[in-house]
Amino acid sequence: MRRNDISLDNCLKCSDCVTVCPVVTAHPAYPGPKHLGPELERLRREGLPCDTEWVEYCLGCHRCDLACPNQVDVSGLIAAAKARHQKPFLRKMRDFWFARPGLLGSLLTIAPRLTNLLLGLKPVRLLMSRFLKISAKRRFPAYVAPDLGPSQAAEAGAASVLFFPGCAIRYNQPDLGRKVVQLLQRNGVRTTIATSGCCGLPALANGDEAEAKLRARAGIESLIEAVSSGTRIVTACTSCGHMLKTGFADLLGDEGELAEKSRKIAESTFDLGEFLMGRADQGLLNEAFQPSSLRLAYHAPCHQTSQGIGRPWFHLLRRVPGLRIEDLDAGCCGMSGTFGFKEEKYPVSMAVGQRLFEGIRDADPQMVVTECATCRMQIEHGSRVKAIHPAELLLAAYSEQGQS
Amino acid sequence: MESYRFDLVVVGAGIAGLTAAAAAAARGLRVGVVNAGFGLFVFGAGCVESRQLLPNEAPEKLGEAIEFFCDLTRRAGCPFRGGLDERRHLPTIMGSFQTIALAPFYLWNGDAAAQVRAAVVGIKGLSSFDAQFATERLNHNARRQDLNTSYVAREIELSWMPGTTATTLQLANRFDRDADFRRELQQALEPITRDTDLIILPGMLGLRSGLNEISDFERALDCPLCELPTLPPSVPGVRLSNAIERYLRKSGVEFFSGFPVRKIDLDGGRCQAVQIDAPARPLRLVGDEVILASGQFSAPLLGAEFFGVDGWLRPITRSGAVIAENLHVAGALLRSTGGHGGNERAILTGYRAGMSVAGQGGRHAAE
Repeated sequence: MRRNDISLDNCLKCSDCVTVCPVVTAHPAYPGPKHLGPELERLRREGLPCDTEWVEYCLGCHRCDLACPNQVDVSGLIAAAKARHQKPFLRKMRDFWFARPGLLGSLLTIAPRLTNLLLGLKPVRLLMSRFLKISAKRRFPAYVAPDLGPSQAAEAGAASVLFFPGCAIRYNQPDLGRKVVQLLQRNGVRTTIATSGCCGLPALANGDEAEAKLRARAGIESLIEAVSSGTRIVTACTSCGHMLKTGFADLLGDEGELAEKSRKIAESTFDLGEFLMGRADQGLLNEAFQPSSLRLAYHAPCHQTSQGIGRPWFHLLRRVPGLRIEDLDAGCCGMSGTFGFKEEKYPVSMAVGQRLFEGIRDADPQMVVTECATCRMQIEHGSRVKAIHPAELLLAAYSEQGQS
Repeated sequence: MESYRFDLVVVGAGIAGLTAAAAAAARGLRVGVVNAGFGLFVFGAGCVESRQLLPNEAPEKLGEAIEFFCDLTRRAGCPFRGGLDERRHLPTIMGSFQTIALAPFYLWNGDAAAQVRAAVVGIKGLSSFDAQFATERLNHNARRQDLNTSYVAREIELSWMPGTTATTLQLANRFDRDADFRRELQQALEPITRDTDLIILPGMLGLRSGLNEISDFERALDCPLCELPTLPPSVPGVRLSNAIERYLRKSGVEFFSGFPVRKIDLDGGRCQAVQIDAPARPLRLVGDEVILASGQFSAPLLGAEFFGVDGWLRPITRSGAVIAENLHVAGALLRSTGGHGGNERAILTGYRAGMSVAGQGGRHAAE
């Protein structure tokens, strides 16, 4: 766990964090991570009033934490200030729902066709912009009745994992969830699907620490049994993965037994790509790939970079014969989950994405590959190029008719 | 504990570490780099000065190493100019001169021996750079050192967003992203170019820019220009670091940035793994070969026995016993008391360590 009191005193004010902050590059007035984090924290701890709306503009990308030569938990300090920040009423209402994609998803998928129809209507979007401060320029992803297929019965001798689908897969892309299960099956791994709800990261990002703690507690409840018997958790959403690996322990680190459990869950959580790369290193990856002529560009989501696992999917896809993939290496996409949907933050979100959009234009790929669902939304919105989860491509590479 | 396997694991992403990683990657090895922060890139611009090299560092290989490094920076879009036999007196913001053999192209024009009239350009509102002060000192030092350039101080005004603090980082970001800003800067500089031969700016010409962008700007201005690295974080240095890292990433080198090395697992005369504090669980980076290039403060990683290196840059004890046969040391760590090696040592030993590893083959070579 990186968050502790000593961390603040480690800040030498070197400004390395400011050189890598995506919001700083896009918005010259943004005070930057050094100021909003360690500098103001010193005053906050003295009880001085220094609440500022700018804390809301932190994307939670963790690039500042990674650039810090002294391991200061810069973004954690900003997140704590965000949780105490007072918002105007309408934005508070909006962020209540944005903090709860699980609740929202379960309501909106009662009648998904009606939901999608309504969310697509211009007047509805204008009303949402007026009364909920949700940008009318954004399209909501389509909602789909949750169907992740059945869990597979454990088989003696076969590896098995617990798949944590997360809200985006459960309510918007269940077909991706089913493909994840098939991909694991192709590699001799049996999958049980976790019944967990939202991981709680959207709640943290929207400054709702109480809700995040509730979600973390529920998450621990639903995962601990499998983990205790040695089962690994696999995620196909980098933000869920980041939350399971660091967020539970950060939130509940002081709560005795729960702290212990959250550390256990963190230790057992693997990004799907990380898990498959591990299998590859052990010679257990099914490499019966059919040749492909796809020309792809890869975008590494911030919450993948922050997990410290390298770029497993980039390397996995490079194993498909003939497939060409370029790492765009163009920084944060600017979407940051619900951030890009917010009326007042939409311009910043698009400005942050500018470098990525230009990178995609220069690379001119057939598709962009990235693990994060909201990165994919932003990429399709900003560049008009189709964006896809790498698991879909790897699965398709096993079948001849899958690729041209 | 999880482990990742590489042909080569490099600790440190300064000039030595990046050169080592590049040398091995160029031979097709699977390379992982562990680093935390930008290293010395934030303090300067990566210029190469000639310093005393040690006999066991094989100074005769310096030419080859420099050639490789220049090729690397050219591929990365931030080419170096100069050569081992060259000596240029390049100005600093404190108004002194540094004797430089090779420098990134955006500094190389600042040769104080040239018989030119140079304008040191300050920017109104920018607190970290004082053109008047630098100019006075530069003229004083130029006279004293018999250098021909004469300096004049000029000031330009640029539009700032209201309520913001003016920094070179902000200027650099705008240079990278905003064509209107580049035009505004060009128009502000144009009157100065009429009676001067060289424009000297505080380091601000982009964090992501390279030869294309800066040369385009220079052409549009129709006057040679050079930058002065300012207080940390130095824009020209971070630009170089960004360019090389980006190039290496695209060539398949994996970076594990931001996670401190917990320990180097030395056992049975070999370095078994580099352990880093990744989130959730420590990560073991297992390399057939390991290069330690993380600066002089990382000597404790090698244990109390560490005394120096042998001819293969492997760490040895006082009695000359090799501490780990697959471990090499490069860069400033080689001479923990001798100060900085002016980057010559970093390039030479980084290159040699990378090449000697590449000579071993590479079992995990890129698929």
